[in-house]
Amino acid sequence: MSRLGPIYTLAVGVVMTAGLTVASATASPQIQETAAVPAAAGADPLATPEETPEAEEAATPDATQEPEEVAAPEQEEDPTPKKADYAGVVDQNGGLIAISIRKGKVVGYFCDGKIEAWLRGTAADNTITLEGKDTLVTAALRGGKAQGRIEWKNKSWRFSAATVKKPSGLYRATAQVRGARVVGGWIKLPNGQSVGRIMLGENSGEPAAAFDGGVQEWYGIPLTPQDPDQFIDAFLAPAS
Amino acid sequence: MSHTQVAPQNRGAVAVLVIPVLAGGLVAAALGVYGELHPPTGFAYGLAGFSGPLAMKVWLTTLAALLAIVQVISAFAIWGKIPVQGSWPGVVHRWSGRLAFLATVPVAFHCLYSVGARYDDPRVMFHSILGCVFYGVFVTKMLSLPKRGLPGWTLPVAGGLLFTLLIGLWLTSSFWFFTTIGVQF
Repeated sequence: MSRLGPIYTLAVGVVMTAGLTVASATASPQIQETAAVPAAAGADPLATPEETPEAEEAATPDATQEPEEVAAPEQEEDPTPKKADYAGVVDQNGGLIAISIRKGKVVGYFCDGKIEAWLRGTAADNTITLEGKDTLVTAALRGGKAQGRIEWKNKSWRFSAATVKKPSGLYRATAQVRGARVVGGWIKLPNGQSVGRIMLGENSGEPAAAFDGGVQEWYGIPLTPQDPDQFIDAFLAPAS
Repeated sequence: MSHTQVAPQNRGAVAVLVIPVLAGGLVAAALGVYGELHPPTGFAYGLAGFSGPLAMKVWLTTLAALLAIVQVISAFAIWGKIPVQGSWPGVVHRWSGRLAFLATVPVAFHCLYSVGARYDDPRVMFHSILGCVFYGVFVTKMLSLPKRGLPGWTLPVAGGLLFTLLIGLWLTSSFWFFTTIGVQF
């Protein structure tokens, strides 16, 4: 018995690993289901009495809010929307994608809770091209929708993202803690689905808790979600 | 010193270690290859009760590191470096070791399954390498323990290595988390 003790110890470790593998492989996706937003326009689930995101964000002194300092040359004939927000489900993968256009500049975010990619690119002639780490997105804008394909590493999924209005859409929050940068990303759909992920530095991260639009506490760090109007300039600025 | 040795030291004894060392080397290499080739899932099943997987890993690693200190002290007692009566240092050593090992399993699983080995950041690179080597040395030690005729230095060297590796793993993960984010559950 005691001579075999170390072998049993190893065996228990192997069994634990096998159990964790099975549990992880069968774990459900990290999409959060919350009460769907009523179809009636104007119903704003984020406008809780103590937390009005617009007012709060507006009150936040933030360098990213300097309006339109970049003079993007506009072509009169280009039918691409000057400002549009799209969000939808990625087929097969089950994650969400959000794309926001602001005067020819485009930001995007793809996240299924497990993997994520922040995307940047351009829009012209109703076509969007976005790039991010290990990720390439191309989409056509047609009938109020962005439809296209996302390539992540060696995988490829289709998606269709409809036009959405706040409080649905894309949110990003950044914070600097002692030695590392914290970046949170969230996507919210009008049907109440949401997904998010919070990264600490480049290599550590975890799925975000259910998103309610307000300040998200993450290990005691307050993260204030910003909409694309607020974060796009800082996001697209070259990294210092 | 010599009276504590469980077997007389001779040239042939080293041959006893061939299989354990080879097995350990294979385990370390296999973990490294898996960490490199397996596409990170960004998610892995873990223990509940923490606010997130990072906190789970940070605290389980801290538990293992504390138990590693118990390991060193109980090993000193086993080898007569600390005068104690009775056989309980052996019992404490075995069970604190088992607990420490099992505490690391969900952590290593999350690291390898969800994140994978990375080499683009010194902290993460050292952590990846130390982690793979740790399990290699652990397997070597576990497979050596039942063998008779081990060279007398085998267990102290293996144990000392494991302690050093585990503390290195703790410094490159939990300590980094505590000093970056703070002491959070």
